[in-house]
Amino acid sequence: MEQELKELRRQIFLTGYSVNIAHIASAFSIVEILYSLYINHNLKYDSKNPNMESRDLFILSKGHGSLALYTILCKAGFFDKEFLASFCKPGSVLGGEPCIPYIPGIEATTGSLGHGLSLGVGMALAKKLDGKKEKVYVLLGDGECEEGAIWEAIMFAAHYKLDNLVAIVDCNKIQKMGSLEAIMSIPSWKERFLSFGWQVEEVNGHDVNALDQLFQNEDNIEKPLVILANTIKGKGVSIIENDSRWHWRLPNKKELKTFMTELEISEEEIQTCRKAI
Amino acid sequence: MQKSYINSLYQLLKKDKNVISCLSDSGTDYDEMIAREFPNQIINFGISENNKVAAAAGLASCGKIPFVYTTSAFLAYRSYEFIRNDVCIQNKNVKLIGMGSGLAWSTLGVTHHTTEDIAALKALPNLTILSPCSPKELEKCIYTAYDINGPVYVRMGMSNEMEIYPDNCTFKLGKNNVLLEGNKGAIFTTGSITSEVLSAAKRLSDEGFSLEVVNISTIKPFDQQSVIEECKKNSVIFSVEEHNVIGGIGSSIADVIAENKLNVELIKIGLADTFAVGYGTHSQVLEMNRLDKNNIYEIIKNKLS
Repeated sequence: MEQELKELRRQIFLTGYSVNIAHIASAFSIVEILYSLYINHNLKYDSKNPNMESRDLFILSKGHGSLALYTILCKAGFFDKEFLASFCKPGSVLGGEPCIPYIPGIEATTGSLGHGLSLGVGMALAKKLDGKKEKVYVLLGDGECEEGAIWEAIMFAAHYKLDNLVAIVDCNKIQKMGSLEAIMSIPSWKERFLSFGWQVEEVNGHDVNALDQLFQNEDNIEKPLVILANTIKGKGVSIIENDSRWHWRLPNKKELKTFMTELEISEEEIQTCRKAI
Repeated sequence: MQKSYINSLYQLLKKDKNVISCLSDSGTDYDEMIAREFPNQIINFGISENNKVAAAAGLASCGKIPFVYTTSAFLAYRSYEFIRNDVCIQNKNVKLIGMGSGLAWSTLGVTHHTTEDIAALKALPNLTILSPCSPKELEKCIYTAYDINGPVYVRMGMSNEMEIYPDNCTFKLGKNNVLLEGNKGAIFTTGSITSEVLSAAKRLSDEGFSLEVVNISTIKPFDQQSVIEECKKNSVIFSVEEHNVIGGIGSSIADVIAENKLNVELIKIGLADTFAVGYGTHSQVLEMNRLDKNNIYEIIKNKLS
């Protein structure tokens, strides 16, 4: 599995590098969460029939992590590598933020922060009204939780007892301009969600087995569940970990050597990317 | 208007269990009755318009047909990005019902006025915009909104609007309709202010200035043909709206005139790039802002004399 996770990060980086853009660090922090949901099938889906009626719904509210999601969807069989390689190129439907309706496996257009949980709340409510069993998963950024609409949705989900809704907060503790602690601190994530009436679980967001256990826990207590996933922004490449400067940038020549060593990327692969640019 | 909305909504709730009335503490006098009869088809989101609009898009993703009802100012302005990103970009089957449009919230002042909503919303792709002038026309608009598989904004008044259609309402999606015949010019109007325009036009007619009154009940898609026909018949046309003159129906008419090289003068009557002032009844506030029947009459008469 470790090798598979490294391969996913390698693919994310190379895809972004080949078009000279990407929120690499934001994508790296959610790889294990997506792996647990899609590759370990904690999310119910049929990649050959993406609109299957009985599927669970997943929304990437922090849309800028799109490359991680696209790469996982590719691995899960929603589309092939050629489709993935079209990322941000003219004629492609794969952009920097997920968009419906042309990408198999994408349920909602996101990008502007603070929308995804409300979309998910509406979907979860519709499922409950219809007596359906499917679940709705929404992956949020921790910085994203500075948006007010998120808290409107949090209140709503608790009041309407949306126990078919799972929010996962990618708690990487860093936003574009620095640490959350410095910019807009939320010192007590757990207490805050508990006080809003949610069930709260905390987990190491890079521990796939621990994530599996949480996703498989069918503890129905008539509350929405939030999983506070403690992650490292930029996880997988030492020089970009926990450093806000890497929110939106790619490596220079010297830094690239570290990426190549740690992600096991060959010179030939880099040359192929350069040709694509 | 509100009663008309409830009547038509009631019929739709009865007909289709996927229709959901979505409120943000923006209730009517009839919600208890609706909740008794259709407990799974009415949701109060609390005072949180943004969550409500995006959640409505989520509901629509799963086959529901949400009717999102609240004061039009809170819907069009506060929730604009949610309307854009979640409803219009994703082309969801959500009905946005803005009540109290124009100056209808006349005692509450400018925060509650909706006098720039057409300008803001008509630039959104995928969105149909309906603006009924009377209770009967509102009912037709609500049924039409239901029939459209996509986003619709209905701009409705709430000031005991009089019925303009004594018999059948002739509303047709995307078609303007002529409420009064005339041959000395044409007045285009929309929504609640239509009754003021009709009063002014009748007075003008009595004085020998017979003007056609055209009701623009579909603001988008805009009935260009109707404008072209009136412009070819007349040398001067007027637009009257309870809205800023920037970006309203007058601007839509100006686009048609320019794009079709029509040789006609357009006089736009509305709020002249200003917020409305004053408090009082709806009629009084219209008068304070020179948008009542007497002021409309005077502006047009001065132009034609």
